[in-house]
Amino acid sequence: MNFTREDNGDVTVLRISGSLDALSTPELRPTIDALVAEKRPTITVDLSDLRLIDSSGVGAIVSLYKRMRALGAKVEVVGLKDQPLAIFRLLRLDRIFTV
Amino acid sequence: MQSTSRIEVWEIARSLRYDGRVIHLRVPGTLRYRDLAVRVVGAACKMVGTPDESTGPIRNTEWDNEVVSAFGEAFNNAAIHSYDGRKPGDVEVEVETGIAAITIRLIDYGNSFSLDDVPVPDLEALPESGLGLYIIRSFMDEVKYVPGSPNVLSMTKYLDPARRPVRQPSDRFSDSGGGDSRQ
Repeated sequence: MNFTREDNGDVTVLRISGSLDALSTPELRPTIDALVAEKRPTITVDLSDLRLIDSSGVGAIVSLYKRMRALGAKVEVVGLKDQPLAIFRLLRLDRIFTV
Repeated sequence: MQSTSRIEVWEIARSLRYDGRVIHLRVPGTLRYRDLAVRVVGAACKMVGTPDESTGPIRNTEWDNEVVSAFGEAFNNAAIHSYDGRKPGDVEVEVETGIAAITIRLIDYGNSFSLDDVPVPDLEALPESGLGLYIIRSFMDEVKYVPGSPNVLSMTKYLDPARRPVRQPSDRFSDSGGGDSRQ
């Protein structure tokens, strides 16, 4: 799993690629904590290059969403396809994220 | 799927056995080996079914994705929960591919649990954990768990669920034991 963070004004784009799973998700947690601490107004999670996600990875993204929502910020997920899209649909997360 | 390195190919070759009907894989029950095991199951999916629609249902990518997703969660549970608080042991994976279905047996020698004790998650509440078994149950047609030493989780998915053998409804998510609080 690789990820990059890019800040453009009020918008932060978090691009995650590869496999976001139980092994790799802990690497993402500090960045999520930083985004929350900085109270970024808008976060776009770009999963265009994400090959695989499991329940641990979903948990991290949902955590980001819930914590930012509590701050009044906006979180959207874009670029879902293939296996990650199947998981998001099963867990009915497509109703809260723009996918 | 990402390219496989020479080291990974060697690890797969060392861990794999094929007896003409079932693929056998034995790896340490740690998350480090999750990706390797998932790749083996993903490759096995491609051996299911027939390329000719006239002779039976054919696979699609969505079907493969569901099998891989379910297996990944099962491996997580074995690595995280089965050997929690004890010395990590091995996980054995048996994959049986056929013209109409895939059956995966995941075997570990750690802590047992009960499928019946795992609650269905409230998706409206946006849970951040406790989703693993829900994913397994949702994506596979039959899930059976036999606790003991070893614990055996058996999962089957049919290309066409309408053609699966007729069984009692209670057989679908069956197990016969108790144990830890698994996700």
